[in-house]
Amino acid sequence: MSWFDYLFFKRERVFMSLLFLAVIIIVSGGILPTVFRKQFILMKAAGVLSISVGCLIGLGYAVNELFHPGGSAASFTYLNRFSLSFQTDGLSAFFLIAIFAVSMMAAIYSFHYMNNREKPWKTAFSYLFFSLLVASMALVVTAGNMISFMLSWEIMSLSSFFLVLYNYESSENRSAGYLYFIFSHVGAMFILAAFGVMYSHTGCFDFTAAATLPDRAKMIVFLLFFLGFGSKAGVFPFHVWLPHAHPAAPSHISAVMSGVMIKTGIYGIVKMYAILGLNSPIIGGMVCGAGMISGILGVVYAIGQHDLKRLLAYHSVENIGIILIGLGIGMIGVSSGNNIMTVLGFTGGLLHVLNHSIFKSLLFMGAGMVIRKTGTGAISCLGGLLKKMKVTGITFLMGSLAICGLPPFNGFVSEFFIYMAGFKGVGLDKTSFIMSHLAIISLAVIGGLALACFTKVMGIIFQGEPRHGFADNLDENEPMMLLPMVLLAGACALIGLFPKLFFIMALKGVASLGLVHGEMPIEPFIRMTGNITLAAAIFITVFLLLLVLRFFLYKGKPVTSFGTWDCGFTQPTPRMQYTGGSYGASILEFFEPVAPLSEDHPAVNGLFPQKTHYKRHISDIAEVHLGTVIVKPVLAIFDKLRWIQHGDIHLYIAYILLAIVVLLFFV
Amino acid sequence: MIKSIILLGLAILSAPFFSAIILKVKAFFGGKKGPPLLINYYTLLKLFKKGSVYSNSTTFIFKMGPMVSFASALTVLMFLPIAGNNPIVSFHGDVIFVFYLLGLGRFFTIAAALDTASPFEGMGAAREAYFPIICEATMFMVLVYFYKLTGQLTLASYFSGSQPSGLWHLAGAPLFFVIVAIFIVLLTENSRVPVDDPTTHLELTMIHEVMVLDHSGPDLAFIELGSFYKLFFYSTLLGRLIYPFKTQFPVQDLCLFTGSLIAVYGAIGITESVMARFRMDKVPRFVLASFGLVFFATILTMEFIR
Repeated sequence: MSWFDYLFFKRERVFMSLLFLAVIIIVSGGILPTVFRKQFILMKAAGVLSISVGCLIGLGYAVNELFHPGGSAASFTYLNRFSLSFQTDGLSAFFLIAIFAVSMMAAIYSFHYMNNREKPWKTAFSYLFFSLLVASMALVVTAGNMISFMLSWEIMSLSSFFLVLYNYESSENRSAGYLYFIFSHVGAMFILAAFGVMYSHTGCFDFTAAATLPDRAKMIVFLLFFLGFGSKAGVFPFHVWLPHAHPAAPSHISAVMSGVMIKTGIYGIVKMYAILGLNSPIIGGMVCGAGMISGILGVVYAIGQHDLKRLLAYHSVENIGIILIGLGIGMIGVSSGNNIMTVLGFTGGLLHVLNHSIFKSLLFMGAGMVIRKTGTGAISCLGGLLKKMKVTGITFLMGSLAICGLPPFNGFVSEFFIYMAGFKGVGLDKTSFIMSHLAIISLAVIGGLALACFTKVMGIIFQGEPRHGFADNLDENEPMMLLPMVLLAGACALIGLFPKLFFIMALKGVASLGLVHGEMPIEPFIRMTGNITLAAAIFITVFLLLLVLRFFLYKGKPVTSFGTWDCGFTQPTPRMQYTGGSYGASILEFFEPVAPLSEDHPAVNGLFPQKTHYKRHISDIAEVHLGTVIVKPVLAIFDKLRWIQHGDIHLYIAYILLAIVVLLFFV
Repeated sequence: MIKSIILLGLAILSAPFFSAIILKVKAFFGGKKGPPLLINYYTLLKLFKKGSVYSNSTTFIFKMGPMVSFASALTVLMFLPIAGNNPIVSFHGDVIFVFYLLGLGRFFTIAAALDTASPFEGMGAAREAYFPIICEATMFMVLVYFYKLTGQLTLASYFSGSQPSGLWHLAGAPLFFVIVAIFIVLLTENSRVPVDDPTTHLELTMIHEVMVLDHSGPDLAFIELGSFYKLFFYSTLLGRLIYPFKTQFPVQDLCLFTGSLIAVYGAIGITESVMARFRMDKVPRFVLASFGLVFFATILTMEFIR
């Protein structure tokens, strides 16, 4: 076969090899820095350039694959026994777009962000693991059978584990990494168990055979998958690792982890749901319910956080909740045979995956900038940054509006579709009514709470007066850090204003799942996106007209500036400002049953009181109960089994022999 | 369409007048003569003529706050069916957009307040962020209820034409619960007694008024106008529920609609006159009652419909 045939008649193979080319370039972007570690700038440039080019190729591949699905696939044999197969369908292509786009932004951001010249090895290895993370995420969403999926999944978990450990010098970060390691591997264990059950019924490693499983087995398999993928996605109560791992990792890594890596959990849930062909209404209710709990509790805990990156991590829990609400409603639609609800729910959920990956990575990059410049992520120590850091502040503001789901930004679009799916469900039978109705109310409450939380973040960190002196010599002179933030903020506005194309992308992803029965006209959905554009356009027109009006109203008028009105008090200090803690206090009191509050405040007494302090802490009930319900009993059991580990190598060999003998009985 | 635009124009012009009714009613209860009914226009004119003083602590967000909240209130009016006529814009799901747009206005009002670095404004902002969460839950519960009754998801389908009376036919007495609930939401969202006292003199006890302490001149006028429109929006919803009929005669309709609006504003005035403001920590319970009411209405009506 000539090269000509290869290029033009074997389209599938060429295109699949384009993905592998992208993966190879990305990984080489990780290896090159280890070679060039002597020249710091060259090392970073090689890594960033190579990873970005690889992501760009991958992005082109994914977009092409989404709009001209060729069903491309490839397989290799592995260890002579197993086959590693990869294939791209609409859903994979949709996730690939998010993965490559966000990773590219993060890679560009890292050029100026990674500036530790003293330890070039550390930077080189962070590029190595970063490239492995990106490549393995791409392979996870294109894996075609259990073996390739599990392999890519493990590479993904391990490389991100090493990235969390980047600042391994502090013991807090080490324990965060350890926690993440345990969670990702317990999760992987559940996934492996699910694959095991599947294999025991079908006898082959292919995903496609799963549809033939008996119904009971399907339920068990999906439940195992939900636990496994849920712990990666950060579904309540398996989210405990998130708020620890994100503050520990460098900011561009947090952006990738929170923006796209946890979404591979969502990919797993959707993919496995589709291939299992489940029809039970319990599944939809369960996913939707988990979404509501994650959504509301995620944002409640977020309000109680004092550290910027921890707060953002809890918002990931919230947004995973919103995504699951959408998917859950879609699943209820599947089980009740309502196509419109299916399409709206799944498409809304998937679109929120893309939207969240955009605004969350933007927010983490903004947080990285703030922490880099001020040296602290403690919300109540900051203030007034907007005056010195204009680009960071404005992009962060746009990201905040998007994450609150406010029009005309992208968060609103996906929430709008999830709402529409929910309202569709209100008109159906009793179970659908109850779940959809609860979903709508939860979405409304989540929206309100997110607004409270992000007005706090904006207001306390970027506005007002600096609470400490460091705001004097702030700058933002790192163009490579600002560029991705500006691009991502632009994407938030673009999707918010013209959601049509992006909606179609999500729709193509959903279409490949084969959940819709019969023909489904897409014009009504396209019209909805047109309505969003119209409404946003009206609002923006009104706003611009008002700006013109304001300009004329202020023309020739005296405009002066003076201190803030302090109610007659003559010596105000920045320390008197409202803090993040006081801002969220009354909301948290309302949620006290699920967010126990502990305060430490020695009483002030006597005429000449001693210096006192005030500390408040919101405990995460999942974290508290995880300790008492799971960790303690497990530790107690293993304490009792300690005698097995005696350190005598002969006896260890005897164990192995014994295990083989016992196994022989079963084989 | 032209009729809708004329009505919108009338609404934009007359909203400040209706708000003066509250003042008149309160003055009557206080045994005073009260300010003239055109007082709000005088105030607005005065403010528009002035310049502004800006705090040194503020940024561009402080100037954007009034513009965004005013623009959102104005845009919302375009989706509002006035006097039972079709609104200018309407599409499937516009209610969601309307309430989220009001949320956008709130975001910027809060952000503008926090921009001043004043602890008082921070206090007001924290309350402004808190209470409307429950209001939003109530309003979406109302939407679920209306959707269950009509199968539609536009403001026009609930409040234009002969539809409100259709709602009464479908739902019956439980709709009273909805009226009370929306009235509670109205009081909360528009910072009226018993949630907030717009006339109090102590910054510590305010919500909305303390947030706009530092605004002046045309900016303040925009804020005032925005709040008149927001109140007009909620009052129209209530007015149409109270007087749900539509006749063949447009002028008669308009007069009766105005009458129902005056009744709603009068009710606000009476509430303000006979009640004191709740303690701040009692307010959430009061607002939650509205959610409970709509919830019960929904449950009751589910039985009716079956």
